[in-house]
Amino acid sequence: MALFADTGLRLHEFVRRPATIVLVLAVPPLAIETYGTALESFPQLPGLAEPARVGRVTGTLFAVAFLAGLVGLFQVISSRSGDERLVLCGYSRMRLLGTRLLSLFTVGAVASAVALATLGLRVDVAAPALAFGVLIIAIVLYGLLGVTVGSVLPRELEGSLVLVFAADLDNALSSDLFDTGVVGRFAPLHHPHALFESAVVSGELAGDHLLPTMAYLIGFLVVAVVAYTRAGVRAPRS
Amino acid sequence: MTPGEQSATDRSSDGSPVLEAREIVKSYGSWLPFTRSNDVLDGVDIVISGGEIVGIVGANGSGKSTLMQILVGAMDADGGTVERAGRVGWCPQETLLYDRLRVDETFGLFGEGYGMSGNDITAARDRLANRLGFEAFLDERVDRLSGGNRQKLNLSVALMHDPELLLLDEPYTGFDWDTYLAFWELTAELVEAGTSIAIISHLINERDRFDHIYTLRDGRLHVEQER
Repeated sequence: MALFADTGLRLHEFVRRPATIVLVLAVPPLAIETYGTALESFPQLPGLAEPARVGRVTGTLFAVAFLAGLVGLFQVISSRSGDERLVLCGYSRMRLLGTRLLSLFTVGAVASAVALATLGLRVDVAAPALAFGVLIIAIVLYGLLGVTVGSVLPRELEGSLVLVFAADLDNALSSDLFDTGVVGRFAPLHHPHALFESAVVSGELAGDHLLPTMAYLIGFLVVAVVAYTRAGVRAPRS
Repeated sequence: MTPGEQSATDRSSDGSPVLEAREIVKSYGSWLPFTRSNDVLDGVDIVISGGEIVGIVGANGSGKSTLMQILVGAMDADGGTVERAGRVGWCPQETLLYDRLRVDETFGLFGEGYGMSGNDITAARDRLANRLGFEAFLDERVDRLSGGNRQKLNLSVALMHDPELLLLDEPYTGFDWDTYLAFWELTAELVEAGTSIAIISHLINERDRFDHIYTLRDGRLHVEQER
Protein backbone atom coordinates (compact mmCIF):
# COMPACT_ATOMS: atom_id res chain seq x y z
CA MET A 1 0.00 0.00 0.00
CA ALA A 2 2.83 2.37 0.86
CA LEU A 3 4.20 1.87 -2.64
CA PHE A 4 0.91 3.05 -4.15
CA ALA A 5 0.75 6.02 -1.75
CA ASP A 6 4.27 7.01 -2.83
CA THR A 7 3.28 6.58 -6.47
CA GLY A 8 0.31 8.86 -5.86
CA LEU A 9 2.69 11.53 -4.56
CA ARG A 10 4.88 11.13 -7.65
CA LEU A 11 1.85 11.53 -9.88
CA HIS A 12 0.91 14.67 -7.95
CA GLU A 13 4.38 15.98 -8.73
CA PHE A 14 3.82 15.13 -12.38
CA VAL A 15 0.43 16.77 -12.85
CA ARG A 16 1.69 19.92 -11.16
CA ARG A 17 3.90 20.45 -14.20
CA PRO A 18 1.39 21.59 -16.84
CA ALA A 19 3.90 21.68 -19.71
CA THR A 20 4.54 17.96 -19.28
CA ILE A 21 0.81 17.17 -19.42
CA VAL A 22 0.53 19.17 -22.63
CA LEU A 23 3.43 17.18 -24.08
CA VAL A 24 1.83 13.85 -23.12
CA LEU A 25 -1.40 14.86 -24.78
CA ALA A 26 0.06 16.63 -27.81
CA VAL A 27 3.07 14.56 -28.88
CA PRO A 28 1.19 11.37 -29.86
CA PRO A 29 -1.26 13.02 -32.28
CA LEU A 30 1.53 15.19 -33.68
CA ALA A 31 3.91 12.27 -34.24
CA ILE A 32 1.23 10.00 -35.70
CA GLU A 33 0.01 12.59 -38.18
CA THR A 34 3.52 13.72 -39.10
CA TYR A 35 4.65 10.16 -39.83
CA GLY A 36 1.41 9.40 -41.71
CA THR A 37 1.48 12.54 -43.81
CA ALA A 38 5.16 12.13 -44.61
CA LEU A 39 4.67 8.61 -45.93
CA GLU A 40 1.46 9.38 -47.81
CA SER A 41 3.56 10.84 -50.58
CA PHE A 42 5.27 7.47 -51.17
CA PRO A 43 3.69 5.37 -53.92
CA GLN A 44 1.81 2.23 -53.03
CA LEU A 45 3.99 -0.63 -54.26
CA PRO A 46 2.66 -4.12 -54.99
CA GLY A 47 3.13 -6.50 -52.09
CA LEU A 48 3.91 -3.72 -49.62
CA ALA A 49 1.66 -2.21 -46.99
CA GLU A 50 -0.04 1.10 -47.51
CA PRO A 51 2.65 3.73 -46.72
CA ALA A 52 0.34 6.10 -44.82
CA ARG A 53 -0.82 3.31 -42.54
CA VAL A 54 2.75 2.14 -41.96
CA GLY A 55 3.66 5.73 -41.14
CA ARG A 56 0.87 6.13 -38.61
CA VAL A 57 1.56 2.78 -36.95
CA THR A 58 5.26 3.64 -36.77
CA GLY A 59 4.48 7.12 -35.45
CA THR A 60 2.29 5.66 -32.71
CA LEU A 61 5.04 3.42 -31.40
CA PHE A 62 7.61 6.19 -31.67
CA ALA A 63 5.44 8.67 -29.76
CA VAL A 64 4.71 6.44 -26.78
CA ALA A 65 8.21 5.00 -26.60
CA PHE A 66 9.89 8.39 -26.83
CA LEU A 67 7.58 9.94 -24.22
CA ALA A 68 8.09 7.03 -21.83
CA GLY A 69 11.86 7.30 -22.26
CA LEU A 70 11.81 11.02 -21.53
CA VAL A 71 9.57 10.61 -18.48
CA GLY A 72 11.86 7.88 -17.15
CA LEU A 73 14.93 10.02 -17.80
CA PHE A 74 13.61 13.17 -16.16
CA GLN A 75 12.10 11.29 -13.22
CA VAL A 76 15.54 9.99 -12.37
CA ILE A 77 17.51 13.16 -13.08
CA SER A 78 15.22 15.80 -11.58
CA SER A 79 14.71 13.93 -8.33
CA ARG A 80 18.20 12.51 -7.97
CA SER A 81 19.35 14.63 -5.03
CA GLY A 82 16.02 14.35 -3.21
CA ASP A 83 16.05 10.59 -3.72
CA GLU A 84 19.53 10.34 -2.23
CA ARG A 85 18.40 12.25 0.85
CA LEU A 86 15.38 9.93 1.14
CA VAL A 87 17.69 6.91 0.97
CA LEU A 88 19.77 8.38 3.80
CA CYS A 89 16.51 8.81 5.75
CA GLY A 90 15.80 5.10 5.44
CA TYR A 91 14.00 4.54 2.12
CA SER A 92 15.14 1.54 0.13
CA ARG A 93 16.41 2.33 -3.32
CA MET A 94 14.27 -0.47 -4.78
CA ARG A 95 11.13 1.07 -3.30
CA LEU A 96 12.06 4.39 -4.84
CA LEU A 97 12.62 2.74 -8.21
CA GLY A 98 9.29 0.94 -7.86
CA THR A 99 7.40 4.19 -7.31
CA ARG A 100 9.22 5.82 -10.21
CA LEU A 101 8.30 2.98 -12.55
CA LEU A 102 4.67 2.77 -11.40
CA SER A 103 4.10 6.47 -11.94
CA LEU A 104 5.91 6.28 -15.28
CA PHE A 105 3.65 3.44 -16.44
CA THR A 106 0.55 5.35 -15.34
CA VAL A 107 1.58 8.41 -17.35
CA GLY A 108 2.54 6.15 -20.24
CA ALA A 109 -0.86 4.45 -20.19
CA VAL A 110 -2.52 7.85 -20.60
CA ALA A 111 -0.22 8.67 -23.53
CA SER A 112 -0.98 5.24 -25.06
CA ALA A 113 -4.72 5.81 -24.81
CA VAL A 114 -4.34 9.19 -26.53
CA ALA A 115 -2.11 7.65 -29.21
CA LEU A 116 -4.44 4.75 -29.87
CA ALA A 117 -7.47 7.03 -30.06
CA THR A 118 -5.64 9.24 -32.55
CA LEU A 119 -4.59 6.25 -34.63
CA GLY A 120 -8.17 4.93 -34.57
CA LEU A 121 -9.40 8.12 -36.23
CA ARG A 122 -7.35 7.39 -39.37
CA VAL A 123 -6.75 3.63 -39.35
CA ASP A 124 -9.06 0.74 -38.56
CA VAL A 125 -7.59 -0.91 -35.48
CA ALA A 126 -8.62 -4.58 -35.56
CA ALA A 127 -7.88 -5.39 -31.91
CA PRO A 128 -7.69 -2.18 -29.82
CA ALA A 129 -7.13 -3.95 -26.48
CA LEU A 130 -4.27 -6.01 -27.88
CA ALA A 131 -2.79 -2.93 -29.54
CA PHE A 132 -3.02 -1.04 -26.25
CA GLY A 133 -1.23 -3.88 -24.49
CA VAL A 134 1.61 -3.74 -27.02
CA LEU A 135 1.92 0.02 -26.52
CA ILE A 136 2.24 -0.59 -22.77
CA ILE A 137 5.08 -3.01 -23.53
CA ALA A 138 6.80 -0.30 -25.59
CA ILE A 139 6.33 2.12 -22.68
CA VAL A 140 7.89 -0.28 -20.19
CA LEU A 141 10.78 -0.93 -22.57
CA TYR A 142 11.58 2.72 -23.17
CA GLY A 143 10.73 3.80 -19.62
CA LEU A 144 13.39 1.39 -18.41
CA LEU A 145 15.78 2.72 -21.05
CA GLY A 146 15.10 6.27 -19.80
CA VAL A 147 15.79 5.22 -16.21
CA THR A 148 19.04 3.57 -17.32
CA VAL A 149 20.23 6.59 -19.31
CA GLY A 150 19.26 8.95 -16.47
CA SER A 151 21.21 6.83 -13.99
CA VAL A 152 24.44 6.54 -15.95
CA LEU A 153 24.28 9.95 -17.68
CA PRO A 154 22.51 12.23 -15.19
CA ARG A 155 22.44 15.34 -17.36
CA GLU A 156 19.24 16.52 -18.98
CA LEU A 157 20.60 17.73 -22.32
CA GLU A 158 22.94 14.83 -23.00
CA GLY A 159 20.48 12.26 -21.72
CA SER A 160 17.66 13.65 -23.87
CA LEU A 161 19.89 13.61 -26.95
CA VAL A 162 20.80 9.98 -26.35
CA LEU A 163 17.12 9.09 -26.05
CA VAL A 164 16.11 11.05 -29.16
CA PHE A 165 18.74 9.28 -31.24
CA ALA A 166 17.94 5.89 -29.73
CA ALA A 167 14.18 6.18 -30.27
CA ASP A 168 14.54 7.62 -33.77
CA LEU A 169 17.05 5.05 -34.96
CA ASP A 170 15.25 2.18 -33.27
CA ASN A 171 11.96 3.21 -34.81
CA ALA A 172 13.41 3.60 -38.30
CA LEU A 173 15.12 0.20 -38.10
CA SER A 174 11.97 -1.45 -36.75
CA SER A 175 9.48 0.07 -39.16
CA ASP A 176 10.05 -2.33 -42.09
CA LEU A 177 10.27 0.71 -44.34
CA PHE A 178 13.83 -0.17 -45.21
CA ASP A 179 15.66 -3.42 -45.64
CA THR A 180 17.86 -3.26 -42.54
CA GLY A 181 18.75 -6.95 -42.50
CA VAL A 182 19.97 -8.52 -39.31
CA VAL A 183 20.61 -5.14 -37.64
CA GLY A 184 16.93 -4.26 -37.76
CA ARG A 185 15.96 -7.53 -36.11
CA PHE A 186 18.01 -6.62 -33.06
CA ALA A 187 16.42 -3.18 -32.64
CA PRO A 188 14.49 -3.13 -29.32
CA LEU A 189 11.26 -2.01 -30.99
CA HIS A 190 11.46 -4.58 -33.82
CA HIS A 191 9.34 -7.20 -32.09
CA PRO A 192 6.89 -4.76 -30.43
CA HIS A 193 6.45 -3.19 -33.88
CA ALA A 194 5.55 -6.55 -35.39
CA LEU A 195 3.16 -7.24 -32.50
CA PHE A 196 1.53 -3.83 -32.88
CA GLU A 197 1.23 -4.07 -36.66
CA SER A 198 -0.41 -7.47 -36.32
CA ALA A 199 -2.83 -6.22 -33.63
CA VAL A 200 -3.80 -3.24 -35.80
CA VAL A 201 -4.07 -4.99 -39.18
CA SER A 202 -5.25 -8.52 -38.48
CA GLY A 203 -6.21 -8.35 -34.81
CA GLU A 204 -4.07 -11.39 -34.07
CA LEU A 205 -1.27 -11.90 -31.59
CA ALA A 206 1.99 -12.40 -33.48
CA GLY A 207 3.09 -15.16 -31.13
CA ASP A 208 6.59 -15.64 -32.55
CA HIS A 209 7.46 -12.06 -31.54
CA LEU A 210 6.19 -12.38 -27.96
CA LEU A 211 9.10 -14.32 -26.48
CA PRO A 212 11.82 -12.05 -27.91
CA THR A 213 9.86 -9.03 -26.65
CA MET A 214 9.74 -10.50 -23.14
CA ALA A 215 13.45 -11.26 -23.33
CA TYR A 216 14.15 -7.60 -24.14
CA LEU A 217 11.89 -6.51 -21.28
CA ILE A 218 13.70 -8.67 -18.75
CA GLY A 219 17.09 -7.58 -20.07
CA PHE A 220 16.17 -3.89 -19.90
CA LEU A 221 14.70 -4.35 -16.41
CA VAL A 222 17.88 -5.95 -15.09
CA VAL A 223 20.06 -3.23 -16.62
CA ALA A 224 17.81 -0.45 -15.27
CA VAL A 225 17.77 -1.91 -11.73
CA VAL A 226 21.55 -2.30 -11.69
CA ALA A 227 22.12 1.20 -13.09
CA TYR A 228 19.66 2.87 -10.71
CA THR A 229 20.75 1.09 -7.56
CA ARG A 230 24.44 1.64 -8.26
CA ALA A 231 24.10 5.30 -9.15
CA GLY A 232 24.47 7.14 -5.86
CA VAL A 233 24.55 10.89 -5.92
CA ARG A 234 27.84 12.58 -5.38
CA ALA A 235 26.59 15.95 -4.32
CA PRO A 236 28.53 19.04 -5.30
CA ARG A 237 31.45 19.87 -3.10
CA SER A 238 31.89 23.07 -1.15
CA MET B 1 51.28 17.48 13.31
CA THR B 2 52.79 20.90 13.84
CA PRO B 3 52.60 22.80 17.16
CA GLY B 4 49.23 24.43 17.54
CA GLU B 5 47.73 21.90 15.20
CA GLN B 6 45.79 19.71 17.57
CA SER B 7 43.60 16.89 16.39
CA ALA B 8 39.92 17.15 17.14
CA THR B 9 40.13 13.70 18.72
CA ASP B 10 42.69 14.79 21.32
CA ARG B 11 40.22 16.61 23.53
CA SER B 12 38.76 14.78 26.49
CA SER B 13 35.06 14.28 26.76
CA ASP B 14 32.81 12.77 29.40
CA GLY B 15 30.02 11.65 27.06
CA SER B 16 30.32 8.65 24.80
CA PRO B 17 30.95 9.51 21.14
CA VAL B 18 27.99 9.66 18.81
CA LEU B 19 30.26 10.38 15.86
CA GLU B 20 33.82 9.26 15.42
CA ALA B 21 35.68 9.90 12.18
CA ARG B 22 39.31 8.94 11.74
CA GLU B 23 41.86 9.77 9.05
CA ILE B 24 39.30 10.92 6.49
CA VAL B 25 40.91 11.43 3.10
CA LYS B 26 39.16 12.71 -0.01
CA SER B 27 40.36 13.84 -3.42
CA TYR B 28 38.39 14.88 -6.47
CA GLY B 29 39.92 13.36 -9.55
CA SER B 30 39.03 13.18 -13.21
CA TRP B 31 39.39 10.47 -15.83
CA LEU B 32 40.11 13.14 -18.43
CA PRO B 33 43.74 13.50 -19.50
CA PHE B 34 45.72 16.63 -18.58
CA THR B 35 43.54 17.36 -15.55
CA ARG B 36 44.85 17.21 -12.01
CA SER B 37 43.17 15.85 -8.94
CA ASN B 38 42.27 18.13 -6.04
CA ASP B 39 43.12 16.85 -2.56
CA VAL B 40 40.35 18.23 -0.34
CA LEU B 41 40.63 16.29 2.92
CA ASP B 42 43.94 14.96 4.13
CA GLY B 43 43.48 12.98 7.34
CA VAL B 44 40.60 14.63 9.16
CA ASP B 45 39.85 13.32 12.67
CA ILE B 46 36.81 14.37 14.65
CA VAL B 47 34.88 12.96 17.60
CA ILE B 48 31.57 14.42 18.76
CA SER B 49 30.17 13.31 22.11
CA GLY B 50 26.63 13.36 23.43
CA GLY B 51 25.23 16.81 24.10
CA GLU B 52 28.08 18.68 22.42
CA ILE B 53 27.71 21.47 19.93
CA VAL B 54 30.60 21.78 17.54
CA GLY B 55 31.33 24.38 14.88
CA ILE B 56 33.41 23.78 11.79
CA VAL B 57 34.50 26.82 9.83
CA GLY B 58 36.65 27.25 6.78
CA ALA B 59 37.16 29.31 3.67
CA ASN B 60 35.12 28.75 0.54
CA GLY B 61 36.30 25.57 -1.16
CA SER B 62 38.10 24.31 1.93
CA GLY B 63 36.06 21.09 1.90
CA LYS B 64 33.48 21.77 4.64
CA SER B 65 30.50 20.39 2.74
CA THR B 66 32.56 17.47 1.48
CA LEU B 67 33.44 16.63 5.08
CA MET B 68 29.78 16.96 6.11
CA GLN B 69 28.62 14.66 3.31
CA ILE B 70 31.20 12.07 4.31
CA LEU B 71 30.21 12.32 7.98
CA VAL B 72 26.54 11.80 7.17
CA GLY B 73 27.17 9.02 4.65
CA ALA B 74 26.09 10.85 1.49
CA MET B 75 29.57 10.55 0.03
CA ASP B 76 32.28 7.91 0.26
CA ALA B 77 35.69 8.93 1.53
CA ASP B 78 38.81 7.70 -0.25
CA GLY B 79 40.19 6.60 3.11
CA GLY B 80 39.44 6.60 6.81
CA THR B 81 36.49 5.47 8.91
CA VAL B 82 33.26 7.05 10.13
CA GLU B 83 31.21 5.58 12.97
CA ARG B 84 27.83 6.98 13.94
CA ALA B 85 25.67 5.99 16.89
CA GLY B 86 21.92 6.56 16.95
CA ARG B 87 19.63 8.49 14.65
CA VAL B 88 21.25 11.06 12.41
CA GLY B 89 19.63 14.22 11.08
CA TRP B 90 21.20 15.99 8.11
CA CYS B 91 20.45 19.49 6.92
CA PRO B 92 22.40 19.87 3.65
CA GLN B 93 23.55 23.20 2.29
CA GLU B 94 21.41 22.71 -0.82
CA THR B 95 17.91 21.91 0.28
CA LEU B 96 17.56 18.57 -1.62
CA LEU B 97 13.75 18.53 -1.54
CA TYR B 98 11.10 17.81 -4.16
CA ASP B 99 10.05 21.11 -5.72
CA ARG B 100 6.54 20.15 -6.73
CA LEU B 101 5.50 18.52 -3.48
CA ARG B 102 3.73 20.58 -0.85
CA VAL B 103 5.30 21.23 2.54
CA ASP B 104 2.95 18.82 4.34
CA GLU B 105 3.59 16.13 1.70
CA THR B 106 7.33 16.61 2.20
CA PHE B 107 6.96 15.96 5.92
CA GLY B 108 4.89 12.86 5.12
CA LEU B 109 7.41 11.46 2.66
CA PHE B 110 10.52 11.97 4.78
CA GLY B 111 8.70 10.98 7.97
CA GLU B 112 7.81 7.67 6.39
CA GLY B 113 11.44 7.26 5.41
CA TYR B 114 12.39 7.72 9.06
CA GLY B 115 9.84 5.05 9.99
CA MET B 116 7.56 7.44 11.88
CA SER B 117 3.84 6.84 12.35
CA GLY B 118 1.29 9.17 10.78
CA ASN B 119 0.49 10.75 14.14
CA ASP B 120 4.17 11.31 14.93
CA ILE B 121 4.70 12.92 11.53
CA THR B 122 1.77 15.28 12.06
CA ALA B 123 2.95 16.17 15.58
CA ALA B 124 6.52 16.84 14.39
CA ARG B 125 5.27 18.88 11.43
CA ASP B 126 3.05 21.09 13.57
CA ARG B 127 5.66 21.49 16.31
CA LEU B 128 8.46 22.52 13.94
CA ALA B 129 6.28 24.71 11.71
CA ASN B 130 5.07 26.56 14.76
CA ARG B 131 8.53 26.85 16.27
CA LEU B 132 10.21 28.10 13.10
CA GLY B 133 7.23 30.14 11.94
CA PHE B 134 6.10 28.59 8.67
CA GLU B 135 2.75 27.09 9.69
CA ALA B 136 1.02 29.33 7.14
CA PHE B 137 2.86 27.57 4.32
CA LEU B 138 2.09 23.91 5.04
CA ASP B 139 -0.10 23.57 1.94
CA GLU B 140 2.31 25.50 -0.29
CA ARG B 141 4.47 23.87 -2.94
CA VAL B 142 8.18 23.79 -2.12
CA ASP B 143 9.14 25.62 -5.34
CA ARG B 144 6.85 28.49 -4.35
CA LEU B 145 8.44 29.03 -0.94
CA SER B 146 10.85 31.88 -0.27
CA GLY B 147 14.48 30.95 0.25
CA GLY B 148 14.15 31.39 4.00
CA ASN B 149 11.07 29.19 4.25
CA ARG B 150 12.70 26.52 2.10
CA GLN B 151 15.60 26.51 4.52
CA LYS B 152 13.20 26.21 7.47
CA LEU B 153 11.66 23.16 5.81
CA ASN B 154 15.13 21.80 5.04
CA LEU B 155 16.08 22.12 8.70
CA SER B 156 12.75 20.68 9.86
CA VAL B 157 13.22 17.55 7.74
CA ALA B 158 16.53 17.02 9.56
CA LEU B 159 14.91 17.55 12.97
CA MET B 160 11.54 15.83 12.65
CA HIS B 161 12.62 12.39 13.90
CA ASP B 162 14.40 13.71 17.02
CA PRO B 163 17.91 12.66 15.97
CA GLU B 164 20.68 11.98 18.45
CA LEU B 165 23.22 13.52 16.08
CA LEU B 166 22.42 16.59 14.01
CA LEU B 167 24.70 17.59 11.15
CA LEU B 168 23.86 21.05 9.84
CA ASP B 169 25.51 22.60 6.78
CA GLU B 170 25.03 26.39 6.74
CA PRO B 171 21.69 25.91 8.53
CA TYR B 172 20.63 29.51 9.06
CA THR B 173 21.22 30.81 5.53
CA GLY B 174 18.28 33.03 4.58
CA PHE B 175 16.75 33.14 8.07
CA ASP B 176 15.30 36.40 9.33
CA TRP B 177 16.39 37.63 12.76
CA ASP B 178 13.45 36.09 14.65
CA THR B 179 13.99 32.71 13.00
CA TYR B 180 17.71 32.95 13.68
CA LEU B 181 16.99 33.45 17.37
CA ALA B 182 14.39 30.65 17.33
CA PHE B 183 17.00 28.41 15.73
CA TRP B 184 19.48 29.02 18.54
CA GLU B 185 16.81 28.54 21.20
CA LEU B 186 15.92 25.23 19.59
CA THR B 187 19.54 24.07 19.39
CA ALA B 188 20.08 25.00 23.04
CA GLU B 189 17.09 22.85 24.03
CA LEU B 190 18.31 19.97 21.87
CA VAL B 191 21.79 20.10 23.35
CA GLU B 192 20.28 20.25 26.84
CA ALA B 193 18.33 17.11 25.96
CA GLY B 194 21.56 15.37 24.92
CA THR B 195 21.51 15.86 21.16
CA SER B 196 24.91 16.34 19.58
CA ILE B 197 25.14 19.03 16.94
CA ALA B 198 27.77 19.86 14.35
CA ILE B 199 27.32 23.10 12.46
CA ILE B 200 29.32 23.90 9.38
CA SER B 201 29.49 27.50 8.33
CA HIS B 202 31.84 29.84 6.52
CA LEU B 203 31.20 32.33 9.31
CA ILE B 204 30.47 31.77 13.00
CA ASN B 205 29.68 34.88 14.99
CA GLU B 206 28.37 33.76 18.35
CA ARG B 207 31.28 31.62 19.41
CA ASP B 208 30.21 31.26 23.03
CA ARG B 209 27.34 29.04 21.89
CA PHE B 210 29.82 26.29 20.84
CA ASP B 211 31.69 23.75 22.91
CA HIS B 212 34.38 23.45 20.24
CA ILE B 213 35.15 25.27 17.04
CA TYR B 214 37.45 23.81 14.41
CA THR B 215 38.87 25.38 11.30
CA LEU B 216 39.21 23.24 8.20
CA ARG B 217 42.40 24.32 6.53
CA ASP B 218 44.79 22.50 4.19
CA GLY B 219 42.61 19.42 4.38
CA ARG B 220 42.79 19.07 8.17
CA LEU B 221 40.85 20.25 11.19
CA HIS B 222 42.59 22.69 13.53
CA VAL B 223 41.26 23.51 16.99
CA GLU B 224 40.26 27.14 17.17
CA GLN B 225 38.25 27.26 20.37
CA GLU B 226 37.70 24.92 23.31
CA ARG B 227 35.25 25.57 26.10
